[in-house]
Amino acid sequence: MSKEIESRVHAALRPVAPSEEFSQKLLARVMAAQPVQPKPRRLLGAGARPLAWWLTASLAACLILAVGVQQHLEQQRLQQSGLEARREVVEALRMTSQKLNLAYEAVKNQSTSLSDEKSGV
Amino acid sequence: MKKCSLPLWLALLAPALAWAAPNPKLVIPEFAGLAQKASESVTITLDPALLAMAGRFLDGNDPQDAATKEIIKGLRGIYVRSYTFDKDSAYQQADIDAVRAQLSAPGWNRLVQTQSRKTRANVDIYIMIDNNQAVGLALIASEPRQFTIVNIIGAIDLDKLHKLEGQFGVPKLDIDLSKTPVQGAQK
Repeated sequence: MSKEIESRVHAALRPVAPSEEFSQKLLARVMAAQPVQPKPRRLLGAGARPLAWWLTASLAACLILAVGVQQHLEQQRLQQSGLEARREVVEALRMTSQKLNLAYEAVKNQSTSLSDEKSGV
Repeated sequence: MKKCSLPLWLALLAPALAWAAPNPKLVIPEFAGLAQKASESVTITLDPALLAMAGRFLDGNDPQDAATKEIIKGLRGIYVRSYTFDKDSAYQQADIDAVRAQLSAPGWNRLVQTQSRKTRANVDIYIMIDNNQAVGLALIASEPRQFTIVNIIGAIDLDKLHKLEGQFGVPKLDIDLSKTPVQGAQK
């Protein structure tokens, strides 16, 4: 009796090759059960990205502004020097002409007095 | 060796030739003492760079500016020293003699020398000629209360100076450059 039971149990529990479907299901489960690997953390957070952009833009704007101001000041300095040089040229020529005028008047007076003397004789 | 000897000689002679060429630039003293005594002093030093810069700021459409531009076109320098005093004889003739002495150097010719008894103003005009062209002008004007030294370097065209008449008060001088006295003839 016990032998019969034993053979029945043995028959019932005989090793059976798993079906292909079973293997696939098992593999799918194993894959699904794998823990999700955490994504590598960025150095700057998501909010830091626009901040960096603004910083770069501000720096560029500051640089452009500084160059512009520098050029404007240089232009102004050049203009002042040019106007000063122009004023000096005009002043120098005015003074020269004034002194030439003195010489001219003296020459004119001398020639007038000479002609007066001649006409008197 | 012979091939390179001519350029070598020329290179060696260049400074000597440059030195031998008449130099119309006067060495004008500082007149520091006089500047302190003067009630008004004018010091104008315009080198070629400044003259070129001034030229850029002269408006070609303005008649006065256009005339000025035309005059300074050929110039390499304008130097003016002028001192005005509150009283007569505030300066010594010796102060001017240092400049006047330079005008006895070769190349300088006295164009005009005037002495006015009325205004007691003496004006000496010297011109330096090189290759039949005026390359320098020196003017010394001494009045009882003022003395002025003007030194203009470069191709001075007296005809252009004539054009300034009525603008800066430049008189129409009857100066014929071709009749410029031979060097030293009027000294």
